[in-house]
Amino acid sequence: MKIRITEYLEVDLKNEKWVCQRCGHYLIDANENYKKGCLVAQKPFEQVHPPIVEGQAYSFSPDADYCRLLEFYCPKCGIMIENEYLPPGHPITHDIQLDLDALQKRQEG
Amino acid sequence: MSLVTYGRDEEVVQRLKPEPMTSLESEAQDKINDVDFEIFQHKMNMIAQEGKETTMKLGASSGMRWGDVAFGVYTGLGDLSVVATGIWFHAVLGQIPVKYIVKHWIDEPSVGVKEGDAFFWNDPFYGGVHGADMGLCVPVFYKDKLVCFTGAVVHTGESGGSEPGGMVGSARSKYDEGLLAPPMKIGENYALKEDILAMFSAMNRDPRTMILDIKARLAACRIAQRRIVELIDQKGIEFFQGALRRILSVTADAAKKKVSQLNDGVFRQPRFMDTVGPETALTKINITLTKKKDKIKFSFKDTTPMLPDKPLNTFFQGIIGLSMVYFCGWFLHDLPANNGLLEVLDWEFPENSLINAKGDVPTSISPFTQTCFAHGMFLAGARMTYHLDSLRAVAAWYQGFGVPIYGGVNQWNEPIADITPEINATGAGARPDMDGVDGAGAYFATMSDCSDVETTESDRPFLYLFRNYFKNSYGHGKFRGGAGVGFGMMMHHVPWVAMGSFGYGSNFPSTLGIFGGYAVPPIFIRTIGNSNMKQLLGESNSALPNTMDKLYEDENPEAGADEYHHVTMPIRPMMNGDTFYVPVGGGAGYGDSQERDPEDVINDLKNNMTTHWIAKNVYKIAYDEKTLRLDKKKTKEIRSQAREERLNLGKPYDEFEAEWLTLRPPEEALKYYGAYPNPSEGPPPGPPGM
Repeated sequence: MKIRITEYLEVDLKNEKWVCQRCGHYLIDANENYKKGCLVAQKPFEQVHPPIVEGQAYSFSPDADYCRLLEFYCPKCGIMIENEYLPPGHPITHDIQLDLDALQKRQEG
Repeated sequence: MSLVTYGRDEEVVQRLKPEPMTSLESEAQDKINDVDFEIFQHKMNMIAQEGKETTMKLGASSGMRWGDVAFGVYTGLGDLSVVATGIWFHAVLGQIPVKYIVKHWIDEPSVGVKEGDAFFWNDPFYGGVHGADMGLCVPVFYKDKLVCFTGAVVHTGESGGSEPGGMVGSARSKYDEGLLAPPMKIGENYALKEDILAMFSAMNRDPRTMILDIKARLAACRIAQRRIVELIDQKGIEFFQGALRRILSVTADAAKKKVSQLNDGVFRQPRFMDTVGPETALTKINITLTKKKDKIKFSFKDTTPMLPDKPLNTFFQGIIGLSMVYFCGWFLHDLPANNGLLEVLDWEFPENSLINAKGDVPTSISPFTQTCFAHGMFLAGARMTYHLDSLRAVAAWYQGFGVPIYGGVNQWNEPIADITPEINATGAGARPDMDGVDGAGAYFATMSDCSDVETTESDRPFLYLFRNYFKNSYGHGKFRGGAGVGFGMMMHHVPWVAMGSFGYGSNFPSTLGIFGGYAVPPIFIRTIGNSNMKQLLGESNSALPNTMDKLYEDENPEAGADEYHHVTMPIRPMMNGDTFYVPVGGGAGYGDSQERDPEDVINDLKNNMTTHWIAKNVYKIAYDEKTLRLDKKKTKEIRSQAREERLNLGKPYDEFEAEWLTLRPPEEALKYYGAYPNPSEGPPPGPPGM
């Protein structure tokens, strides 16, 4: 049985796997950080938040000394499952850690 | 025994959850039938709503006039049972000052709590947020028995301090922050004490506004008091007190029921800010939510340490209060807003942390920290609640402020100090089924308004040059955030104005998207000194910019001393004719931008909400630039190609992480952060000046 968790993620309770909701690809064990089952890329800010001012201290584009943009893609269909804005080198966040036993019991009960 | 403590009361601020029922309240429960209780709740909500409307109509400050108001009815022990507000944090914070009054002043012979009294406070240690939020309450007696309190909490703004407008960005201790009044009696026998009002006036740059605001709160409290006495005449004191307390119990039970439906698990969200007030630097709030059965526990290990001499610190109460913006406005939107909701929360705040201020450290810009945390609640909350109520798993509204702050003398020669109201015109976050609302309001004050510019201009020394939606001011995504506004102001009518601004998110975006949606772009302040704007206006120059994006085009004829500032811009004098430009952000994006309906992108182009560059490079659509006719087939091809590019560009997690973890921000950016990346793994920064 698959349980919808976010816009792009499901959990397959029987197999205890994270699943891409769009294509059904099994990403990784559901006990793991789903991001570990994704492809990861650092997206240059000029491709998403282009500066509209040149040569000034601020430009409507984030400061790469402070912040970087990481994108997590489904390795099969390429949908962006999530992204994360982090300071350079900051550990990637394990943002969803489900209690699978509790979830199993709820589904059974 | 004396109850006077001569210092901040650390015990009373821990009592955020409802007090146990009194024996009278408990005995009354069996005698209250459900129909009477429903009618009672409706009447109490109407009384509170009348109090809110009265406060707004009589008040003078920007915050009060435009809806930054919480009006409530408190139990005799001080719990806030009924409140009318969109400022949800006051729904659980307004009670602490009342509990302080109950604890300290009822039995204190030199103060006492009697019919006709009025009490005031603005110390954020009790109010929970910041000194600009001021409260007033009155006890309600029935046949000489104290039955409840009525009260109003409102952002008045100016509260003394070393900078105008109630937010002292340069504060180095609480002694720079002006008036910090613990709950104190300011009225007796239905009259305000003029000596105390005179003292407040002497400590405040804008005494007219402060005193009018106090009288507005008091008038509303008195009307509500009258209504309550009329209600007790009809229903009896036992019913009234029992039913008022029952609202808290019913709320708590319903909240527990709803929380228990959520998946158990741990949800994490680190949050980052890029200013400590006078300096640009990184700080972190590390949020962990642990959901188990009918409880959610907050913990914050690895949050930036407390800053001894920078005003970004917040008391823990402010964090709990701001969590209610998310809970009351979104997840628990269908329940009454009161501190009964806190029965589902537990919390653990680390000592010596940014979010657990102690001692004399300054807290003037604590709303940044509280808001940064609240944004984390939207992100973690969406991940926690999507499975149960997906339509409310929304992206965040704009969270970075972007608020001009000013002081001086206006065109009527009256002293003024306040903020402008455009914070109440930010964009709403994108939703799982539609875009965010453009110019929706403030996420923390959803019932507020941004005023007409003409009204603001009528007693403020500014001329608005433009104020309208700002193209691409939102986060992109499958659904985009609502647009924010950009506006320009010229100093007008007076020789000079002390001007600054506050907010965060000039280097590190303040407002992040959800489920692959993008962040709101950074914002900043632009000022032009010795501007030729008055001359250009006199010439009716048609090339003058009338939107934020045109401000940055080469054709803009304005000239002068051009400066770009972090959105937290220190107060400085700006002269007559100088200009000040502010973008107030839109909402964050939801979902992968390449899933956005191409026709919605075309509509955004038609409505000047986005640019051709964004349409092609972020949304990956193909169309005729002249006719705006969509090429569906080519769009499909381009998007398919873009997906392939992602698969080629992306690296397996372990490979990416190995490279990523070698990076580090420059040391200057980490000056106040604590040990990087985990502050608990190193010593905290030393004392001030070290």
